[in-house]
Amino acid sequence: MTANLRASMNWAPKPRAMPDQRIRPVHWVIGLVWLVAVLACSVLLWRYKSAPGPAGAAPPRWPVESTIERSHEEPTLLLFAHPWCPCTRASLGELAVILSKANGHVKAHVLFDRPASESDDWTQTDLWRSATAIPGVTAHVDGDGVEAHRFGAETSGHVVLYDASGALLFAGGITNARGHAGDSEGRRAVLSLIATGKANRSVAPTFGCTIDKPELAEKR
Amino acid sequence: MDAVLDTSAERFTPASERAEALFQEHLFEVHRRADIMFAILMAVQWVFGVVLSLVVSPWAWEGKVRSVHVHVYAAVILGGLLSGLPIAMVMRRPGWVANRYVIAVSQMLWSALLIHLTGGRIETHFHVFVSLAFLSFYRDWRVLVPATIVVAADHLIRGLLWPESVYGILFPEWWRFLEHAFWVLFEDIVLVFACLNGAAELRAATERRAQVEILSEIDRTKTEELATALEALEKSQEARMRTEKLAAVGQLAASVGHELRNPLAAVRNAATYVQRRVTDPRFAGQPASADPKVAEFMQLMLRELDASSKIIADLLDFARERKPAMNPCPLHPLVQEALTVIPQIGVRVVNEVPEDLPVPSLDKDQFRQILVNLIQNGMEAASGKPDAQVIVRAEGGGGRAPWVIRIIDNGTGMPREVLEKIFQPLYTTKVKGTGLGLAVVWNVVHAHKATIEAKSEEGKGSQFIIALPAAAGAAAAE
Repeated sequence: MTANLRASMNWAPKPRAMPDQRIRPVHWVIGLVWLVAVLACSVLLWRYKSAPGPAGAAPPRWPVESTIERSHEEPTLLLFAHPWCPCTRASLGELAVILSKANGHVKAHVLFDRPASESDDWTQTDLWRSATAIPGVTAHVDGDGVEAHRFGAETSGHVVLYDASGALLFAGGITNARGHAGDSEGRRAVLSLIATGKANRSVAPTFGCTIDKPELAEKR
Repeated sequence: MDAVLDTSAERFTPASERAEALFQEHLFEVHRRADIMFAILMAVQWVFGVVLSLVVSPWAWEGKVRSVHVHVYAAVILGGLLSGLPIAMVMRRPGWVANRYVIAVSQMLWSALLIHLTGGRIETHFHVFVSLAFLSFYRDWRVLVPATIVVAADHLIRGLLWPESVYGILFPEWWRFLEHAFWVLFEDIVLVFACLNGAAELRAATERRAQVEILSEIDRTKTEELATALEALEKSQEARMRTEKLAAVGQLAASVGHELRNPLAAVRNAATYVQRRVTDPRFAGQPASADPKVAEFMQLMLRELDASSKIIADLLDFARERKPAMNPCPLHPLVQEALTVIPQIGVRVVNEVPEDLPVPSLDKDQFRQILVNLIQNGMEAASGKPDAQVIVRAEGGGGRAPWVIRIIDNGTGMPREVLEKIFQPLYTTKVKGTGLGLAVVWNVVHAHKATIEAKSEEGKGSQFIIALPAAAGAAAAE
């Protein structure tokens, strides 16, 4: 009987040893090194994303030789795009926002650059499909980047805005960083110019891939 | 017996101490599980980040020339840094306090990286709030502090150095920082309450468990002390039995001395006569065999020596306590063997034990002795009756049923007051009995862990019933 009683006592809970929770100086050093490495990578990423692309001088008046039809009733907006540039997806997103807020008071064209050596198929990317899906946008193939050169666009996502009389209102980007959606000085300025004809700025940096300008191609 | 049950609560660990230990133990388990969850999440985020960069922005272009996009490098290197350290820490020491703070920082930096990789999509900003909610799985509000500091620092530093990357404009209003911080702080407040409530619930649960454990511990100690007390009692009983037995042996020695004195005196008288008859010169020439008294005295000496021998044998049987040597032993032949050593004069003894009865395990010699004793008692009780008989029966033994052996006589029976004492040592109703026969039977039966019961009816006879436990069968079957 006593054996049974003793056997019934074996369930008694056993205390569990808690592991060491101390943080030693070497751990702080490892953590600090890790944080510095992470911050260094982040700074490099920011610098890349916030570095604007090259911009040429946009003509102050609509070039007569341009093959793009300018509106005589309302402002005309041109966006120059590299068909393969992932950063331009954000610019097209901002263009869609501008057009929806402009409520039809602007004519918009997106010109996809095509190098001389490529066929038009080279421009038929998802960006082309995104552009044509935006209501009020007309997409064009810019063979050899002729129009881009004509309007001083060297970076994908570059926007020029001309008023109904053909005077330049704005030239620059409509995103605040490379491939980064959201509010930006450029977008605000374009919206203000469409709505009121006035804005606190007429230029903004453009963030995106480089468009294949004939001069650049020659340099390469 | 010096074992005294002491169940006072002061003897046990205080419930508050045990509750605190349990709380820390449970909390550690919560932290360990959350660590493992985040380690997996870190790995998943890394893979997701790399895949996302490869799908969304694999290449950067300069005209027709392409190069690997910085997003891919960022996902592989920066993502690897962000996930690598937390994963390594969790793998090395899951549940460690430093893990959750590094994970909190890493998780919020992952939000920033994913926002970059998805091109600043507003939907990705939900990652910040989801991450804060995930961090509350630690049930430690302090983890939210470094996470919030990282978000605030990200906004502050970028807001100062590169405001358009946070607010989209170069010169945001001064309160824009507060607007962003408000939503994070709003969630923080809710989560801090959730963490505190979770910890309070955990503490309440551990306090309840500690109470239960203390009660169980008291119960366990009681059981342990009861077992000790029982052990002491068993030892005490054994000691008492030994003492009683020694006393009985002493008493028996006196009784045996008294019993032996008469036959020895008779033997001495007879031997004296025979000696004189053989050595006295007056009987020279007269052979002893011619004297009828010599034969009579020789017969008397043998009878009295037999009686003395029986007294000594009974004494030895009682005094000698031998552990039974258990072996399979069929009952029918055993009864038959017992009958061969009993002279059956005037009483018919019938062995009705079935020959195909299951075989029990028992000490053959000891059990034969008790059968002999009981059958002899029955024969003595029945002798003198015209149809005197003793029947031995047995049954059971199959499966869990015990063996039941009955020795039934149709003798004179016993009155109630005799029946109550028959197994006591030295108690006898016979003129020439030692009072040890049934005491020996009792000892042997109990050494076999069996029981014995006597039933009797005056004028009709008696019945002794031995119940041999079924375990004896299991032992026999092995």
